[in-house]
Amino acid sequence: MDIVVLVKQVPNTTDVKLDKNTGNLIREGLESIMNPDDRNALEFALQIKAEYGGTITMVSMGPPQAVDVLSEAMGMGADKGLLLSDMAFAGADTWATSYTLGKAIEKIERFDLIICGRQAIDGDTAQIGPQVADFLDIPQITYVTDIETVSNKEVIVKRRLEDGHERVASQLPALLTILGGANNPRYPNIGGLLAACEENAPLAAWNAADIGVMVNDVGLAGSLTHVIKTYVPKFKRQGETLEGTTAEVVRQLIQHLGKSEGASACKAVAATCRLMADTKQEGI
Amino acid sequence: MYRSDAEQLIRKSIARFVDAEIIPNAQEYDNSKEYPKEILKKIADMGVFGIRYPKDRGGCGGNSTLFCIVCEELARGLMGLGATVAMQCLMGTNCLFIYGNEDMHEHYFLPAMKGEKFGCFCMTEPEAGSDMGAVSTRAEKTNDGWTINGMKTWVTSGPIADFYTVMCQTNPAKKIRGLEFFFIPRDTAGVSVSKPFDTLGTVTSKISEVSFTNVRIPDAFCLTRDGQGTGYLFSVLAEIRCMTAALAVGLQRAAMDDAIRYARERQAWGKPIGNYQLIQAKVANMAVNLEASKLMTYNALKMVDRKIECKNEASMAKYFATEAACSAADSCTRIYGAYGYSMEYPAQRHFRDTRFLLNGGGTHEILQTNIAKWVGL
Ligand SMILES: Cc1cc2nc3c(=O)[nH]c(=O)nc-3n(C[C@H](O)[C@H](O)[C@H](O)COP(=O)(O)OP(=O)(O)OC[C@H]3O[C@@H](n4cnc5c(N)ncnc54)[C@H](O)[C@@H]3O)c2cc1C
Ligand SMILES: Cc1cc2nc3c(=O)[nH]c(=O)nc-3n(C[C@H](O)[C@H](O)[C@H](O)COP(=O)(O)OP(=O)(O)OC[C@H]3O[C@@H](n4cnc5c(N)ncnc54)[C@H](O)[C@@H]3O)c2cc1C
Repeated sequence: MDIVVLVKQVPNTTDVKLDKNTGNLIREGLESIMNPDDRNALEFALQIKAEYGGTITMVSMGPPQAVDVLSEAMGMGADKGLLLSDMAFAGADTWATSYTLGKAIEKIERFDLIICGRQAIDGDTAQIGPQVADFLDIPQITYVTDIETVSNKEVIVKRRLEDGHERVASQLPALLTILGGANNPRYPNIGGLLAACEENAPLAAWNAADIGVMVNDVGLAGSLTHVIKTYVPKFKRQGETLEGTTAEVVRQLIQHLGKSEGASACKAVAATCRLMADTKQEGI
Repeated sequence: MYRSDAEQLIRKSIARFVDAEIIPNAQEYDNSKEYPKEILKKIADMGVFGIRYPKDRGGCGGNSTLFCIVCEELARGLMGLGATVAMQCLMGTNCLFIYGNEDMHEHYFLPAMKGEKFGCFCMTEPEAGSDMGAVSTRAEKTNDGWTINGMKTWVTSGPIADFYTVMCQTNPAKKIRGLEFFFIPRDTAGVSVSKPFDTLGTVTSKISEVSFTNVRIPDAFCLTRDGQGTGYLFSVLAEIRCMTAALAVGLQRAAMDDAIRYARERQAWGKPIGNYQLIQAKVANMAVNLEASKLMTYNALKMVDRKIECKNEASMAKYFATEAACSAADSCTRIYGAYGYSMEYPAQRHFRDTRFLLNGGGTHEILQTNIAKWVGL
């Protein structure tokens, strides 16, 4: 079972801050980490490899320092790393990113599965997986929470729906996107990390020429979308979690509804509830 | 092709582990006073115990600097854990690594790398601490091996260990030159281990007495010979001191992190106490001492890794970083006000744990005496 895992280096925060003047992400002072969902993706790949054998190739597009996520993945047990790095790749939107990743994967001789994270904590689009599958013209299963069985021909997985789960089978090769929290990713092994730092480590870097793309088709130039303005949305309404026993929570909710401004309907509901609660004593 | 920087990569990996698995539970571990078996299993699975040993002998192929980076990060989480891990990575296994035979390597050293067996180091005796020459545990040659009699104390990991590296006197007439190290598995007849000590700090690290009564071991278990014992000890002393310094750096960071967090939160006269200059001065001093401690420690470690003589630099680093840790923990408890005196907050733990750093690798009185001698007094 040969598996390609897509991994992205991201800033260690979900609270992305933007430069007010340029609209760019402020990355200074932020530590870079492996995108959390990608850790779950790799963990599944490692479990499959432990059971069925094969190799795991990590692929990342990013600046030279993104090699750190490949090294970390090798510390966790991945076999090979491939860094797609070229000034021409900079400023890519999700289309250009998927195209670049797709072209690189086409160059990898053999793969049965591509596994990626569902979503990156910085870009946050969850588009890369589906777009890469589309580019390679292979089936995709998104929002995967569990991989049940893998055989030479097919994979059966569990995927999350809004109101439950579904089991889906797909022929191979296929692409899966993994939900964060789907499994418990292992910590890297020190020996593996050190081996990844060595000169002869199985890590390669490919540029635009290596994957046979024109510079106009990748990066900013190859992006279909153009950012006009980026800004931090203002949150006017914020959720609140009520805690306690059911009875306590309902009582708090009634109080809240009673206080809500200008919502006479809410007040009416609250009054009715109070009445019902009063008549039934503890019978909420 | 691009490659990651090994020191940064290891530090980041261990730091992530410490932040996720240790810091949130540190208070609980400390309160329970229990030996943290599960977390040590995770540390073992990460390959930490083999970090300073070569790959072809079952290690990870790292060096002393990398080992001390791990010690520093672990101590930032929980000093007791740092103490246990440091013992297993260095003093508990090193003599066996250098002088042990194939059989000992297979049955003890390799399992120790995986955390399946634990080792420890026995020098101190009830009547011999700083004054090593007073060690009186006796090793007597017999026809087919050695007989050991004596008592060791303050043995870190003593209660949980599977094997001991024991300093014994082979020939009292030779005094310090007669001291040699012996390998003694715990299950040898005549070995007995006391109950764990009740200690002020690092309460998850278990310490005990270990006594040897007519313990018979084969000749191969005599690790050092012909006066090699003290030579061996001096050869690892610089690294032991750097390791203690790195633990002290970790403690300083923990105390400083906690102090800053608290100084930002706690209000007095309508402002966070961190807005007051006298609090700022304490934090600034912690930061300066920390920076100096790091520089001294990792400078000495570079020398250890390059096999450059550095007993002076290592002693200074251990002395300075530990005193700075004592001062940082002291400041931390002051910044916490009354809560620095409460067992529910971490300040008291840092304060107690500093005492662990004072003795190992030489007391500060001994280090000061040596430093003064080295600079010409
Ligand atoms: C409209 C728009 C404009 C943008 N403009 C710019 C720009 O000008 N400059 C700029 O720097 N960025 C820009 N970006 C961000 C950049 O395109 C995305 O970060 C990138 O394409 C990945 O998308 P994502 O972060 O949403 O990943 P997601 O689709 O959320 O990631 C899902 C999974 O795909 C995989 N994956 C994602 N990215 C990579 C990668 N690089 N290598 C390997 N695997 C990966 C991972 O497995 C990840 O878990 C733009 C994004 C959008 C939507
Ligand atoms: C937590 C902990 C873990 C330990 N783990 C181990 C272990 O795993 N293995 C092991 O072998 N030992 C261990 N030790 C023991 C440690 O190495 C000794 O405590 C240390 O060697 C000092 O010996 P001592 O305590 O007997 O003090 P002593 O030597 O009795 O000293 C008492 C005091 O007198 C001072 N003093 C002594 N001589 C002089 C002098 N010449 N000039 C000026 N002042 C002097 C000392 O500095 C100290 O202040 C541990 C100790 C502790 C606290």
